[in-house]
Amino acid sequence: MTIIAIGRLLRASTTGCVVGCRVSQLDAPAFGCLVRIPLENGYQIYGLIYDIHIDDDGLVRQLVTAEGIDEAVILDNRHNRNVPAEVGVLAVGYRQNSQIYHLLPPRPPLSLDTIYLCDADELCRFTQAGRFGYFRHILRSTEAPAAELLAAHLRECHQAHTAAGHPEWIQTATRELITLLRDDYPTLMSVLGALSDIHGLFASG
Amino acid sequence: MPIDFRDIQRQVKSWGEKAPERERQLNQSRQAALDLFHRLSGQEDDLRLRVERALQENPALRCAVPTQEALDASFALPELTTRPVVLAADGSQINPDRHSAVEFCVVNVGAFSMRPKCPEPPREIIHSHLLDPEDLYTDRGLVSEEIVALHRDLAERRFVLDLARDMPGSAASNGAPEGAEPVPSDQAWQGTPTVALTDGPLELYQEREAREQPIFQKLFADYLDVLRDIARLDVVAAGYVDKPHADLVVRLLELWRTPEADLRKGARRSRSWIGILDVDLFRSILEPGERSALFAIQSTSAQRFQDELALHFFYLNVGRSGHPWLARVEVPAWVAHNPAALCTLHTVLVDQCRMVGARPYPYALHRAHEVAVVSLAEKAELEQMLIQELQRRGLPVGELSSKQMLKQLHGRTRYPK
Repeated sequence: MTIIAIGRLLRASTTGCVVGCRVSQLDAPAFGCLVRIPLENGYQIYGLIYDIHIDDDGLVRQLVTAEGIDEAVILDNRHNRNVPAEVGVLAVGYRQNSQIYHLLPPRPPLSLDTIYLCDADELCRFTQAGRFGYFRHILRSTEAPAAELLAAHLRECHQAHTAAGHPEWIQTATRELITLLRDDYPTLMSVLGALSDIHGLFASG
Repeated sequence: MPIDFRDIQRQVKSWGEKAPERERQLNQSRQAALDLFHRLSGQEDDLRLRVERALQENPALRCAVPTQEALDASFALPELTTRPVVLAADGSQINPDRHSAVEFCVVNVGAFSMRPKCPEPPREIIHSHLLDPEDLYTDRGLVSEEIVALHRDLAERRFVLDLARDMPGSAASNGAPEGAEPVPSDQAWQGTPTVALTDGPLELYQEREAREQPIFQKLFADYLDVLRDIARLDVVAAGYVDKPHADLVVRLLELWRTPEADLRKGARRSRSWIGILDVDLFRSILEPGERSALFAIQSTSAQRFQDELALHFFYLNVGRSGHPWLARVEVPAWVAHNPAALCTLHTVLVDQCRMVGARPYPYALHRAHEVAVVSLAEKAELEQMLIQELQRRGLPVGELSSKQMLKQLHGRTRYPK
């Protein structure tokens, strides 16, 4: 199992957190990925990456006006300069005493805690626990683009569950979403529209 | 209290009313200076004789001295076959402050190195030096800002020297400088020239009072030694002056116009084009990428730089077509007298400035500045560290001056907050 640390915590609340990482670390985290923040005594928080943004600064604004940026300048700005990329994470659950809950964590992580990407096994374990309770955190979020986030997340889950011998997982998840959004037609259409854009998502089902 | 804007508005208007006439006079002087500049081109020997004659009357003479290159010559951007290693160093300092609770002084030097075609990112290195308590006082009291600045200038050049020694293929190798990671041991840069940039002139202008202090003389001797060591390593050293305000060449032209009888009456008598700068002459003759002729510097402080250290300078247009931007570049004689070194420096500076885009300035120097700069928050944190160290040892800690404490008082707060 490869353990990939994607950064350290900048700020947090019980509903989410922002992680800082160097631009050179950015090939690991992707929109919709499940991440985990291990804390003490087996307590671990789960979250979904819903935003990745890169701030500029005065020098970067200046550099973009140059004709043909030198490779050394690009390397310098990505590796040396103190401009972290910020990764927004939506809290979707936690684990305590080996039990996974799709509830908001009792307390947020602390500054500089390390954030790791979840591998396929952990993704399957988290998404199989309970009955998709974590969907409500995504749908209720005012900051995350719910439809796009669900589409990205379900695509990753579908691949992991299919590989683990559970290709039917995606149908169950979609039915649950339809149930949750039965009284919210605009959001339901938005979510189904995003899901339909995932090429081949339902092909195997 | 804020500025009295009602009163200042009246003064601004008056200032503006005088501006057109002032500009007209400056333009007239600029044109006259430029005409003379072109006319004297080719008479460099006569100009040098004139400087020597004036120097007999005025030992404090300050002006440019022409070299063998024609006065108004311009040199196109050369093409380099080998890209050099570029080192840059810049420093900042926390001056001792008698108003603070603890007196201390820090010299912070940042360095930045770029190696050609290197797959690794450029290196940034920092070295922070807290001056020993005994260095905080001289026989004239608390160490002056001029002396701290000299500590900083010396530290910058030492850092460059250490980094240059550390470069594979350099003439000497003395290990990595303190705080620096060792350079990869491969020989990819064997024989690659090294250019070392610092911000500002190499000439150190100091008030006479500072120059007379023994500590100044010791630090200055060390400074010259370090420059000599850099020369021995064949490192192309240069001081880069952005938006130069120098008028050394204009002073040379003024000297030419000064009647023989007035040469004895002191420097002020020969100043007829005050306000005209060298860039006013070179802006119209240098195309983007071109450098001017080389000049030597005649001044009392430049006289301390002898032999291979003798100070020279040239102007360089690092701007774009339609947007000239001139820099003044100071080099020691060992660079000025070496055409290959001069070509390397010329190309590197234009190349470095173009990296930054529309506001040209050497990228490596800017990065060294970024590394070196000390923020107010860092200063406050360091002060707290020193106070805690004294308290931990049961030693008395001073107090802020009342003046400083009153300055730090918060402004009015709003009820109920």
